[in-house]
Amino acid sequence: MESLNNLIYGFGIALSPMNILYVFTGVFAGTIIGMLPGLGPISALALMIPITFAMDPSSGLILMAGVYYGAIFGGSTSSILLNAPGVAGTVATSFDGYPMAKKGQAGKALAIAAYSSFVGGTLSVVGLMLVAPLLSKVAVSFGPAEYFSLMVLGLTAVVSLSDKSLIKGLIAAVVGIMVSIIGIDRQTGTERFTFGSAHLLDGVDFLVMALGIFALAEVFYMLLRGGGGKEQPRNAIGSLKLTRGEVKEIAGPMTRGSILGFFTGVLPGAGATIGSFLGYSMEKRLAKDGDTFGQGNIKGVAAPESANNAACTGSFVPLLTLGVPGSGTTAVLLGALLVMGVTPGPAMLQDRPDVFWGVIASMYIGNIFLLVLNLPLIPLIAKILDMPRALLLSMILIFCMIGVYGLNFSVIDLYLLLAFGLLGLAMRLFGFPAAPMILGMILGGVMEESMRRALQIAGGDWSVFVDKPISLWLLVIAALSVFLPLIKKAIKGLRLRHA
Amino acid sequence: MTRLNVNQVLGLVLATFAVLYLVLAFQIPQFALPRPIDSDHFPKVLGTSLLVLSLMLFLEKPQARDIPDPVQSREEAALPAWQRPWARVIITFLAIAAYAALLVPLGFVLASMLLAVGLTVYYGYRRHGITLIATLGVVLGLYLIMTRVMDVYLPTGLLPL
Repeated sequence: MESLNNLIYGFGIALSPMNILYVFTGVFAGTIIGMLPGLGPISALALMIPITFAMDPSSGLILMAGVYYGAIFGGSTSSILLNAPGVAGTVATSFDGYPMAKKGQAGKALAIAAYSSFVGGTLSVVGLMLVAPLLSKVAVSFGPAEYFSLMVLGLTAVVSLSDKSLIKGLIAAVVGIMVSIIGIDRQTGTERFTFGSAHLLDGVDFLVMALGIFALAEVFYMLLRGGGGKEQPRNAIGSLKLTRGEVKEIAGPMTRGSILGFFTGVLPGAGATIGSFLGYSMEKRLAKDGDTFGQGNIKGVAAPESANNAACTGSFVPLLTLGVPGSGTTAVLLGALLVMGVTPGPAMLQDRPDVFWGVIASMYIGNIFLLVLNLPLIPLIAKILDMPRALLLSMILIFCMIGVYGLNFSVIDLYLLLAFGLLGLAMRLFGFPAAPMILGMILGGVMEESMRRALQIAGGDWSVFVDKPISLWLLVIAALSVFLPLIKKAIKGLRLRHA
Repeated sequence: MTRLNVNQVLGLVLATFAVLYLVLAFQIPQFALPRPIDSDHFPKVLGTSLLVLSLMLFLEKPQARDIPDPVQSREEAALPAWQRPWARVIITFLAIAAYAALLVPLGFVLASMLLAVGLTVYYGYRRHGITLIATLGVVLGLYLIMTRVMDVYLPTGLLPL
């Protein structure tokens, strides 16, 4: 009952005219940015952060949640229409979505994507509402040692679940943490790695890094690999209508996908990509016509789409209750919150109920907007995909510039942005994942602080991290997440040698 | 001597970086009062981790995904030097650097127009009317939203905006 009252309170906040405008703006802008191949939710969020500078935190987060949803939905649009997923989370959608589009059913596939996203989003918001307060009660008992171990787990989970090299992922995370500690050490006042630059005393802003290694690096990468700027042919959209039989057919996959997706999202590191693949393969196995998956089966669109949206919501659970993001995207959200002066964590439910419940309510509203306003606009929004690439790239650059400059009104940040852009390009070319780096950058400061506090309480004794049972378990899981793939590989190698 | 593979080169570069980082970490001054964990502690842990990881990378066999495939196709080789893919990256890079230098003297609107229009034309879009209208709309719109609605200051420069 308490949750329900709180939710009503949250709706009161989310339904103020300005906040409705923000949700709509967020969903709309997110859809557009997410639709552009290469630009995913991380870039979308980073590009939109400057807009939230002057907002109060609940409005800012409401806008951001809309952007996140919109970006995932936009990603499915380009998966279906172009077979070019804007984000990894919508790759599974293209398996059946694109074949449907080739058969002239693009509209139907988009409608299924929208309905499934809606169902996934809505069901998982219910889950979030139920799970988050419970988890935050547990998290209140966490001391600095547990927090440190939790963050280690968050980092290793993101690294081990990325499809890139494990070692490279860890390197990216460590370098991200290294960047995060540049500046004045807040506990001792000692300068670290500032090289005498007054600008670096305050450290490097996470937005500079996020826009550099995601958005700007993506522009560089497109320039390098985009070829002569030939536009891909786009399939016509066709009717958006579904028959009653089709709705019945996708109801099951949508519900199962939502539940699976939500719990995948709650786990650190898993998130939308894994959720959508799991949802897809589960339905393929369950379906009687599983062999037609990949040829334009509507269930093959419904399952991953509901799962990826549910996972997005699920990933808000660790972010809001523990203050520890489980993915690169929620890490950027965390950064945005910190800029606005809100520190998510177990205390947030008490200290800032307006933010917490406002966001949950705005997720419901965001889902409805996605369905009611976005879907009919899709044929129009899809025209963005026809926008000349040359113009598009220049516009993205301008957005990056204004976002970075608006932070501190400092030109030095623009040069830093360039440096991170080059770094991001090099990382893409050599197969280093970028998400662990941004996660490391955002968690680094808190990680060091909790490590120090834990050690100070224990008088410098490192065993404090393994003496506490929760902390020990978190570290064991973290170690397993790193070493299991390595051990598996080694065993496989041995078997091959013996065979 | 056999040639180093891509991971070995990367491993060496990163190891060098880690060593330099550690050297700097050891120069971080001590806090006046002795405390169990000082400012240099965490950086030392980080530097050591990076060193170990880069040595592991040195030993890891590169996968196909780790090696950048040769960028230049025959079609691209036929392009004039200043329009080849790497030239596009370098020129964009320089354009942004120039933008950073000119932002304050020229002002946001003028500098951004120059950057957006210049790069769009350079990337090969030839309908200049559309380019002008679209960039002017976006740049002016952004400028007005930021300065009038959000109260974020952007340099005005030469234009009396």
